[in-house]
Amino acid sequence: MLLVYKVPREPTAGRAYVWRKLKRLGAILLHDAVWVLPATPWTREQLQWLAVEISELGGEALLWESRLVLDGQEEALVQQFQDRVDAAYQNILKELDQEHTDLVALSRKYQQVKTQDYFQSELGSLVRTRLLSARGGHNA
Amino acid sequence: MKWVTWEHVGVDRMACAWLITKYLDPQAEFLFVPAGHKPLPEGAEAFDIPGVRLSHHRGHCTFYTMLREYDLADPILHRIAQIVDEADVMQEVALEPAAPGLDLICRGIRLISPEDLIALERGHLIYDALYAQLQSEIPL
Repeated sequence: MLLVYKVPREPTAGRAYVWRKLKRLGAILLHDAVWVLPATPWTREQLQWLAVEISELGGEALLWESRLVLDGQEEALVQQFQDRVDAAYQNILKELDQEHTDLVALSRKYQQVKTQDYFQSELGSLVRTRLLSARGGHNA
Repeated sequence: MKWVTWEHVGVDRMACAWLITKYLDPQAEFLFVPAGHKPLPEGAEAFDIPGVRLSHHRGHCTFYTMLREYDLADPILHRIAQIVDEADVMQEVALEPAAPGLDLICRGIRLISPEDLIALERGHLIYDALYAQLQSEIPL
């Protein structure tokens, strides 16, 4: 899915709002020009409604479902998505290694990264296992 | 009265259909058209289709819009609207832990239903149950 949009410069809150939403969806901004997300029924819906919000903010949004033409580019793009979630998972693992970790905060962080993990990173299941075994009580 | 929406109903549309039959139009008849299909059937009120009156507005889901459009003030309905908002579209502020679960259940209902109309009917039980449970809790 490709999204190109424009929202009025003022108020800045509107611009920031759209930007943060795209970030939370895990979209990647390519060459400061096009926002990219893997096409799933879920991302299609999210972007469809975001486009509505953009036009309500007085902006314009174009949304495509497209495919890459040149060989190997798709893999490279997928890799970009994976690298990003893997880095986020690595951070959680690092924090899990520390002595006084906030498991509540880390599990919330895991859930957030998980929603952006479009290609089912193996690190994700590792984080999950580690979180489960880190809880105290019966599992210790 | 006739009501029309896109095929493949989910959490928001199941909530809307429940609201329509229960509070607005007990004899409601629901029609479904493929996503993006135009023109919409004449004489039918469209809902949860981008750009229509009963749709997403200002980042809120269609269920929320319907409460506003039909002046429904019941606080429990507004609590359900908050849950559906968070279930349907990724929100910056998430206060309802039930939201992702509700989304999952509604998607599952559509999967195991042979057609949209049956999915809407099955959704009634979910929203009746949600309403009853919220009602039994201490109001926020």
